[in-house]
Amino acid sequence: MFDSNRRVTAYLISTIILIAAVALVFRQAERQDWRAFQQTYFARTGQPAEIHVREIVPQLTGEPELCTTCHIGLAEISPSHPVAVFGCVSCHGGNGLSLDETAAHTGLRGGKNPSDLRVAAESCGENCHNGFADESKNHVDGVLRSVQGTYAGGIAAVRFAFGAQTSAEPVMGVYHISDDRIVSAAGVAELSAFVAQSGNPIEQKFAETCLDGGCHLSAEPRAEPYFFRSTGCAACHVLYGDDGLYRGDDPTIPKDEPGHMASHTLTTAIPFSQCNHCHNRGNYSLRQMDFLLRDDLPPAGAPLSAQMPAEGKRLVEYYQPIGEFTRCEWELDCIDCHTAQEAMGDGDIHPNQQEMQYTQCKTCHGTVDALPALKTVTEADSTALRQAALNPNYSLAVGDTVIITERGELMGNIKFSDGHFVLTGKADGKIYPFNPVMGSGCQQKVDEQESRYCHECHAVAR
Amino acid sequence: MKYSLKRRFSGVRLWRKNKSVLYNLHPPTIPADGARFTYTFGLGGLTLLATLITILTGVLLTFYFVPTTERAYPSLTLINSVVNFGGFVRSLHYWAAQLTVIFAALHLARIVFTGAYRPPRDFNWALGLGLFVLLLLWDFTGYTLRWDEGSIWALLVGTNLLKVIPRYGDALYRLVVGDTAPGDAALLRFYAWHVVGLTVATVGGIGYHLWRVRVDGGISHPHPTRARPKTLVSRDALFSTEIIAAIIATAAMMALAAIAPPALGRIADLSATGITETKAPWIFLAIQELLRYLPPLWAGWIVPSAGMVILLSLPLFDRHGAGRGKYFSRARWQSQAAFAALAAGIIFLSVMAALR
Repeated sequence: MFDSNRRVTAYLISTIILIAAVALVFRQAERQDWRAFQQTYFARTGQPAEIHVREIVPQLTGEPELCTTCHIGLAEISPSHPVAVFGCVSCHGGNGLSLDETAAHTGLRGGKNPSDLRVAAESCGENCHNGFADESKNHVDGVLRSVQGTYAGGIAAVRFAFGAQTSAEPVMGVYHISDDRIVSAAGVAELSAFVAQSGNPIEQKFAETCLDGGCHLSAEPRAEPYFFRSTGCAACHVLYGDDGLYRGDDPTIPKDEPGHMASHTLTTAIPFSQCNHCHNRGNYSLRQMDFLLRDDLPPAGAPLSAQMPAEGKRLVEYYQPIGEFTRCEWELDCIDCHTAQEAMGDGDIHPNQQEMQYTQCKTCHGTVDALPALKTVTEADSTALRQAALNPNYSLAVGDTVIITERGELMGNIKFSDGHFVLTGKADGKIYPFNPVMGSGCQQKVDEQESRYCHECHAVAR
Repeated sequence: MKYSLKRRFSGVRLWRKNKSVLYNLHPPTIPADGARFTYTFGLGGLTLLATLITILTGVLLTFYFVPTTERAYPSLTLINSVVNFGGFVRSLHYWAAQLTVIFAALHLARIVFTGAYRPPRDFNWALGLGLFVLLLLWDFTGYTLRWDEGSIWALLVGTNLLKVIPRYGDALYRLVVGDTAPGDAALLRFYAWHVVGLTVATVGGIGYHLWRVRVDGGISHPHPTRARPKTLVSRDALFSTEIIAAIIATAAMMALAAIAPPALGRIADLSATGITETKAPWIFLAIQELLRYLPPLWAGWIVPSAGMVILLSLPLFDRHGAGRGKYFSRARWQSQAAFAALAAGIIFLSVMAALR
């Protein structure tokens, strides 16, 4: 027991300990990640710091979300998906009410990317980009069945070449997929998920170097300059820099760590550089069963963009040295000619790329005895009008006359008026007047229309 | 006579310590041997303190917690993230509750090792054991309310143990769970039991337990001998020790709560497979381990009940004689050995389960 002096001392000391504990509680309460993130954000943007929990109540769900407390400064994903309407959780999943990193992020759909093809039907498809009677609106189903998604042709060709299957007809895709509404002649009813089952080590290596190596929309890309991209819908619609660096204001995303989107933005104005993160990066060698990087680009870690003026960079970067191409093929962006259905499928499972990639020189230029097919836009052409409305770089109105492809897709950015053809760049808004073959000096035979015939005269020097 | 407010209320002297309930928990003088800190380590008092903190923080949590399967988990993340000091209050609730069980278990051990269960304290010993069971149920229901991964064992395995009780199992299950499977009905029932039923029972039980300590002759202590005559200390001295201990223990719990907030896992998905990999709450790890070796009726009911019967029966076999009020007295080795074996078994099984 204490005498009275020691008792007073003991009371004092214990009270001091209690005060210290209270101070610790306050200090821990102040030490929250989100406060640090907001401090970083306001310091970076030079705005006066207003550090508090941020809540949005999206109209679609009516459920409060606190995500922007940490992800302050994250760009709105697109004007079609306003954050005030969709919020974050509608697409991303997760727990919008938590400010704890782990708790908030448990249950995220597809990790950082809700448009990954494993979850896209749930995140993007449900009630929005799937489920229409008009298959051309079912973009998620379309992409899942597209050759960029299934890689059906590549898998069939390799398996057939090495004796793992008896014909070149595709039977396997990257994942299992089926289609009960086949429209095109070459459409495939079902693909089973690829498994290396022949026991052939070549097939195994194909799985590792190609299927896991980045050749389709579900494959993670190489973590190297030029290759950075996302997967699923975002593989094309979310732009990445060649260096893979984030250029937005979200303080949670490190700006010096490669592998991040340039901005948290979906776009349909997709520049060639985005396509190039998969295409034209090298060649697949069947002999070595390996992907061989092209060797004319600076080594990884020294991105081209830092070293070249934009025009020259584009010429060098666009195609590989062995490629032959005309001026429009490197001045325009890929999506100026290649249509939405070519890239995202038309609802059928196509057996290979040739069945799906159908745009040719003649689509826009016609032949010696025919102008390109034209159509005057009516209210019924909702797809083309919608595509134009979603792209900030060109416009389309009912009454405009545009090129129509052999499969009936309107090229809303290529207009015909007053006897002149004009293409507007979908990615940059540049104007390109051009002439049809008919009436020019070109003598190209009508039945020889593949690009190699055109390249004989029109290829440009690198 | 001049009107005097002070005089009018002179009978109301709550601030006079000798009128207060707490002050009168202890008799005016206490045998020094029983009041020594190194004799009790203040474990009973610490259990009481931790219980009071648990109740206080629990009351605060009720302002935000929503006991529905849809809102329970989100409301916890709201408490953690948005409510001012909500995360701290929840953390303190968790830690105070865990420490209540730990302090109570140590208090129970102290009673066994000093022979304090002997008559006239045998009834209070049984009461204390009952309170310990109530504490475990309190803790158990608390785990289910989280509705996260940590709840799954309690929700599925814990409740299914009811079904193995012969004859009445299914009816008991329906009574406790309120449905054919854990869902909104179960959550609401567990909530009601957690917040009202078990709280009232435990608080009432603790009050009675404390009162019995005093009427059973105070804290146990050795019989005085000629060589060691009875010495008494004032209750003021004991209170000082207790208050200082309480302040330091409160500070320690607050610091613990501030530094180590309890995890909140994924939201509970009761349909998911792999329930076998779910860890039980630590207090039930021993039973989870037993379930690996024994049929559920034995692991969940017969073995734990047998342990409880052994503890209950200690004052039946060891009633008087040498060794009262002395730690680890050889005169009472049988009961201490039985308890030690039981405790070692529980700890061993718990560690086995924890390491899996």
